[in-house]
Amino acid sequence: MPKFIGAISLAVMCVYSGGASAGDAAAGDKRYHESCHACHGPAGKGASSYPKVSGNTVEYTREKLIAYRSGQKFGPNSPLMIMMAKPLSDEEIEHLAVYLKDAKYE
Amino acid sequence: MKYSICGSRAVSAVAALIMAGSVASAQGMDIPVIEATPVLEGLESPWDMSIRSDGTMFFTEKCKGLSMRSSDGTVTNIYGMSGSEGYAGTGSDLFCEGQAGMMGVAADRNFDQNRRLYVASTSNKYHGEGCKTNHERCDGNIVMRLTLTEDMSSVADRTDIVTDIQYKPFESNQPFGGPGAHNGGRVRIGPGGYLWVAGGDRHRGLCPQSPELLCGKVLRVDTDGNAHPDNDPPAGFDKRIYTYGHRNVQGIDFRPSDGKAFTAEHGPWHSDEITALVNGGNAGWDPQENTAGRGACPDQYCGYEPEQMEGMDPAVRASYMPMSDTRFEDLMPPTWNNNGWSQGTSSAAFLKGENWGIYEGRLATGVLGIGFGGTPIGQRIDMVSITPDGLGINGITRMPLDFSKRFRGLVMAPDNALYVATDEGEIYRVTATSN
Repeated sequence: MPKFIGAISLAVMCVYSGGASAGDAAAGDKRYHESCHACHGPAGKGASSYPKVSGNTVEYTREKLIAYRSGQKFGPNSPLMIMMAKPLSDEEIEHLAVYLKDAKYE
Repeated sequence: MKYSICGSRAVSAVAALIMAGSVASAQGMDIPVIEATPVLEGLESPWDMSIRSDGTMFFTEKCKGLSMRSSDGTVTNIYGMSGSEGYAGTGSDLFCEGQAGMMGVAADRNFDQNRRLYVASTSNKYHGEGCKTNHERCDGNIVMRLTLTEDMSSVADRTDIVTDIQYKPFESNQPFGGPGAHNGGRVRIGPGGYLWVAGGDRHRGLCPQSPELLCGKVLRVDTDGNAHPDNDPPAGFDKRIYTYGHRNVQGIDFRPSDGKAFTAEHGPWHSDEITALVNGGNAGWDPQENTAGRGACPDQYCGYEPEQMEGMDPAVRASYMPMSDTRFEDLMPPTWNNNGWSQGTSSAAFLKGENWGIYEGRLATGVLGIGFGGTPIGQRIDMVSITPDGLGINGITRMPLDFSKRFRGLVMAPDNALYVATDEGEIYRVTATSN
């Protein structure tokens, strides 16, 4: 686990050490509706037993999605997240992370 | 916000046919105008409703509790879960976890005289010596009979009439494997004023076929919780059991034409089902390990096997772990199985009233939407035309709403409107106007 986190952190530092994220919120909104909306609800507010995923920092969401994409399990619904995260590109993860940071359900 | 859903394509098509004079029988076809209007928004996982003739609506929120919306729109918080704030009273034993919490609500048929509601919830009051592991009895799902005060703002009396429906206390190695899985939880008043309680298997392999455990069963009891005298389960079974062998029943209603009970339940990566219930019948779900050709399974539960964490052809999985196992002689075959897919059927309600036109008598069935292993997500409400014998369908029309949500709770109101709760936090009133 520590090795894994270390590897992720290193990768994130290497790729994103340039400062602000290159993610695009509008692109993240579109991607969110394709893959995430059905479970996590509108604007990442959470629904039923699926947790809220909005309002987190870009770094937090990015690290979680990268970890899921690699097959890392965090809890009982991990298989669903691993499956959904597998096809995400680095760029899509960045878009999603930026979108979810400020997404609000009115 | 109001959604206008006119079924315009269908209307246009019929109009064109009539104009062309090519289909004389299309004349007089009664396709209703369907409209959905939110009556409450910003709720927290609303789960079920019960509507009175004056428009008063009782509703549950899974982790908050029971509330009432008066016909003028005022909301009164009546009875909360432990820790809920702003309620007239709370149940210190009531809790929510994962899929579990406060779920179904139904009003007594003599509610106007006795002000009684029946509410399903999870509770830690009856755990007893159980609940130390996932592989033992753990009584944690209950049905309460709540008598409201005269002004209906609070609970005057709470009597727990069913206290021994099992609950899953710990995480296990399954998809959706958290505690609180598969409680069923819908309650409805059926013919004769009896209470029907829909249950789930709580991720325990032996539950659905067990003669004494109430998990994975549909109960038919009186309003004190006693067995209906005509229940006819197999010898040795708890007499409160009407049907057994269920996985997770979140929908139950009674066909207006004959009173026959139908359930809707989630499938396990395959085969959501609607089933016509037969007194004492077996829905055919048996996720025990070392059974029916299967070997050992993760945490003694084969419900998602084989290769439970991987997507595969639903038909292949169904052949290994069938939703309705034909090895049972008392099997109630499914009316419908969602073409072999699991997309998460939840609540169901028969559409009553001539205002529903050609859809009158169809079973409106809410689908939550689960897109696993290549299955389309499929959030929708289906209007299912069921054959008279209940063993098949004539056809399905998707309700023409112009939005898709996680449709959790469906119930008809006395004015023949359909009320719909979504996991996103809304309750809609869906009306149909006959042409």
